[in-house]
Amino acid sequence: MKIFKRLYSNVAEQMVLIVIIVLFSVVMSIVSPYFFRMSNFVNIVQYVSVYGITAIGMTMVILTGGINLSVGGTLALSAWVAAFSMLAGVPWPLAILIALVIGSAVGTINGFAVSVIGIPPLIATLALEQTTRGLQLVFSKGKPLYGFPEGFLKFGAGKVIGDIPMSVLWTLILFVFFAFFLGNTRLGRTIYAVGGNANATKIAGINNNRIISFVYVMCGILSSFAGIILIARMDSAPTAIATGLDMQAITACVIGGASVTCGGKGRIFGTFLGIIIMGLIQNSLDLLNVSAYYQQFVQGLVIFAAVALDALRNKQSGKGFKIPLPRSTRSAA
Amino acid sequence: MEKDLKLEMRDIYKDFAGNPVLKGVTFQLRRGEVHSLMGANGAGKSTLVKILNGIHNADAGTIYIDGQNANIKRSEDAEKYGISFVHQELNICPDLSVAENIFIGRLEKNRFGLYDMTKTKKKAQELLDMIQINLDVTEKVGRLRGAEKQIIEILKALTMNASVLVLDEPTSSLNEKEKKTFFEIVDRLKKQGVSTIFISHFLKDVLTISDRVTVIKDGVNNGVFYAKDIDKDTLITAMMGSATIKRQDRKKIQNENQIAMELIDFSSSNKFGNINLKVSKGSILGVCGLLGAGKTEIARAIFGLDPIDSGRVLINGEKIDKVTPDNMLINGVTMVSEDRKVEGFIPLLSIRENSTLSIFNKMCKQAGIFDYAKQISYSEELAKKMTVKCSSIEQPVGSLSGGNQQKVVISRCVAAEPSVFILDEPTRGVDVHAKAEIYQILTNMANNGVAIIVFSSELEELLEVCDDIVILKKGRITEMVRATDTDKNTLLSKIS
Repeated sequence: MKIFKRLYSNVAEQMVLIVIIVLFSVVMSIVSPYFFRMSNFVNIVQYVSVYGITAIGMTMVILTGGINLSVGGTLALSAWVAAFSMLAGVPWPLAILIALVIGSAVGTINGFAVSVIGIPPLIATLALEQTTRGLQLVFSKGKPLYGFPEGFLKFGAGKVIGDIPMSVLWTLILFVFFAFFLGNTRLGRTIYAVGGNANATKIAGINNNRIISFVYVMCGILSSFAGIILIARMDSAPTAIATGLDMQAITACVIGGASVTCGGKGRIFGTFLGIIIMGLIQNSLDLLNVSAYYQQFVQGLVIFAAVALDALRNKQSGKGFKIPLPRSTRSAA
Repeated sequence: MEKDLKLEMRDIYKDFAGNPVLKGVTFQLRRGEVHSLMGANGAGKSTLVKILNGIHNADAGTIYIDGQNANIKRSEDAEKYGISFVHQELNICPDLSVAENIFIGRLEKNRFGLYDMTKTKKKAQELLDMIQINLDVTEKVGRLRGAEKQIIEILKALTMNASVLVLDEPTSSLNEKEKKTFFEIVDRLKKQGVSTIFISHFLKDVLTISDRVTVIKDGVNNGVFYAKDIDKDTLITAMMGSATIKRQDRKKIQNENQIAMELIDFSSSNKFGNINLKVSKGSILGVCGLLGAGKTEIARAIFGLDPIDSGRVLINGEKIDKVTPDNMLINGVTMVSEDRKVEGFIPLLSIRENSTLSIFNKMCKQAGIFDYAKQISYSEELAKKMTVKCSSIEQPVGSLSGGNQQKVVISRCVAAEPSVFILDEPTRGVDVHAKAEIYQILTNMANNGVAIIVFSSELEELLEVCDDIVILKKGRITEMVRATDTDKNTLLSKIS
C-alpha cells in the first residue's frame, strides 16, 4: 500500500496525462484492430523520436524560464554539415561528433546572449534560428545531400533486439538519462532552483550565467543529435528540414506540465507523456483514416484540452498557496 | 448586539488539510475605530483577514456588516461591502502617474468614452487636498518614496468608497517621519467615519495608532484591549504567553584584533562613499540609518550584487579580486537580503532543497549525484535547530509563514558555515517570538567566532543583538557607538 502511495505521489502531477493516454488507448483499441500491437507502439515512439529528443533540451531551457526557438535551425545546420562531411570522406563517428560540436556552439552563443548580454531568450534564439537556417542555405545552395555510409544508417536508423528501431532506443535512453539527471544530480536540481527564483540562487552563491548557458548548450547538442537521427532515417539531408520543430518541442513540454510563464516547473517524465500524447493523436488519426486536412485542426483541439485540464487541476490544488508572479531570467542573470 | 458595530466576524472556524488554524474566532470592529489585529506568525491572523477578503472561505461562522449577514465568497464580494485591502506588497504601476494609479480601473472618461486625463487629475487633486497631502498628481509613482506609495494605495481604497480599510503591515517599510505622516492620515480617515483594521508586528505602532487591539493566539481570540490601558509587555504576554525579548548573553570577544572583514574606501557614485569598516571575528556589528542612508546599497555592494566605483573588500586580511556572490561564498561570506520574497528563497522547492542550496556540492556522492539520505538528515537537523515550523522538510517554502520562510533563508546561510555573515533587515515582517529565535541563532554564531553585520532600520533590534553600531547618514559613516552605552532615543537623534 505504501509503495502504491509513493508511486502515486510521484506521478500525481502527471495523472491527467496518464488518464488521457489510457482512455485514448482503450478507445482506440476498440475502434481499430491495428492499434493494440507492439509494432504500433514502436511506431508511435519512432514517429515522435526527433522532436522528443529536442523536447528534452527544450524542457531544460523552459525550466530556467527561457525558451529556445533555434532548435530547428541548429538541427538543420549541424545535420547538413555532418552529411557534407561524410560525403567528403570523413568517418561517420567523427561526422556525428562534428554535428554535436556545432550544436553546442550554437547553444553557447544562445547562452551567452541570454545570460551575459541579457537579450530576452525569445529574441536571442529567434535571431539564431534565422542565422543557422541562413548558414545552412548558404552552404547547401538549396541542394539536398544523400547516400550516407552504412554504419551511419545503422547508428540512426538500424534495428536492435528483435525489431526495435535505433531511434526508439535512443529516445528512451535519453529520456531516462535526463530524467535521472534533472531529478538526482546537483546540476539538475540547480536548474530547478535558478528557474524557480534566479534572484535567490544568485544570493545563494550560484553562478546563474553558467547554469543558463549550460541548458542552452545541452539543448543545442540534443537538437543536433535529433538531426543525426532524422537524416539517418531519411538517408538524406534536405534543405527544408525540421521546420516547425521548435513549436512541436514546446508543445510537448507544455502538455507535459512545464510552465513557460514562470520557470522551475516541469519534469522530463511529463514531457515524455507529452510527446506520447502527440504521437497517439497522429497515430490514431492515421489509423482512423482521417483526412490529412483535418489532422492539424484535431491536434490543436486535443492539445488545448490537455493543457486546459492541467491548468484547471493546478488552479484547484494551488488554492491557498500562491505562486509568485512570473519573473524573467534576464533581470537576475 | 452593540449598535455602533461596523463589522463582526463571529465564531470563525477554518482548517487546512485537517490542521485547524482558526478555532472559533470572534472579531468586532466599531464604526470609526482603528482596531489592531495582532498575533505571532502562524497564529491565524492572516487567515482571518483572508477570510474577510474572500480569498479563503470559512468552514463555519458568520460575518455581519452593519448588522446584516454578509456573504463573502470572493474578493469582489468584499469590495462590494466596502471593505478595502492595502497589502504589504504594494500593487502599483510604477510608470503611471499618481492620478492614474489612484483611479486605475476607474479612470475618468470623456463623452467619447476615451480616457480624460484632465478630469482624472482634477479628481485626484481633490482627494489629495482632502487628506492634506502635498503630492504632484502627474509624478510617476515609480519615483515616489515608500510612504507616498503607501498613501496612494490608501487613496485607491478610498475611491472605492471603502468604509472598512484593512492595512496589512503598512509601516514596515516606513521610517519614523513617514510613519508620523501615515498615522495622521489614518487619524483623519477615522474622523470621517472610516473603520480601520491595522495588522502589524510593530508593538509601538500598534499602541500609537489603535483604539483597541485584538490578539489572536493559536487560532483563538486571546483578548481585546483598549490601547491606552496597556503596554508592550501586556501585548507580548497575550501573544506569546510570556515576555520573550531580552538581550542575549554574549561571550566576551576573544580577540578583537582578528579582523574577519574589512572595507577600505568603499564608494559608489551617489549612493555611499568612503566607507571604512572593520568587523572582527566573533563580533556582531550593526549598521543603522534612515531609509535612503545607504544601508541596503552597502550590504549589496559588499556581496557583489551591485557594482562599486572604488574601494576594496578584505576577507581575513586578503583582498578579494572578484567581488561576485559566488566568489564571496567561496571566501566564506553569506548574505540574507532585504527582500525575502524576491531574493530569499525558491517558493516551489522544498525546505530541504532551499536550506541546502548553497552547499549542494557537499550533499553529493560522486559525479554530482545527490546523496539524498545525507541531505534529508542534514536539513532535518538544521530545520530543528532553527525551529522552522513545518509539517515536513518536503513542504515547499512558498507555503510557509513569513517568519518561517525567513528562518529557512537564514538556515541556508548557516549551512554554508560562513566566516562573515551579512544580514539586511533580518527580521522584517517576522513576529516577536521568531525574532527572539533569530537573535539567539545570530548570538550563537557569533559566540562560535562568526563575524556578523546586521543592517537594520529597527533600532531596538540593533540595540538588542549588536556589540557595536555604526551610524550611517547620507551614505557616509558619521559615528560608531557601543550598543551597551547608548539607547534608542540617542540613536534616533544620531541618525536623523
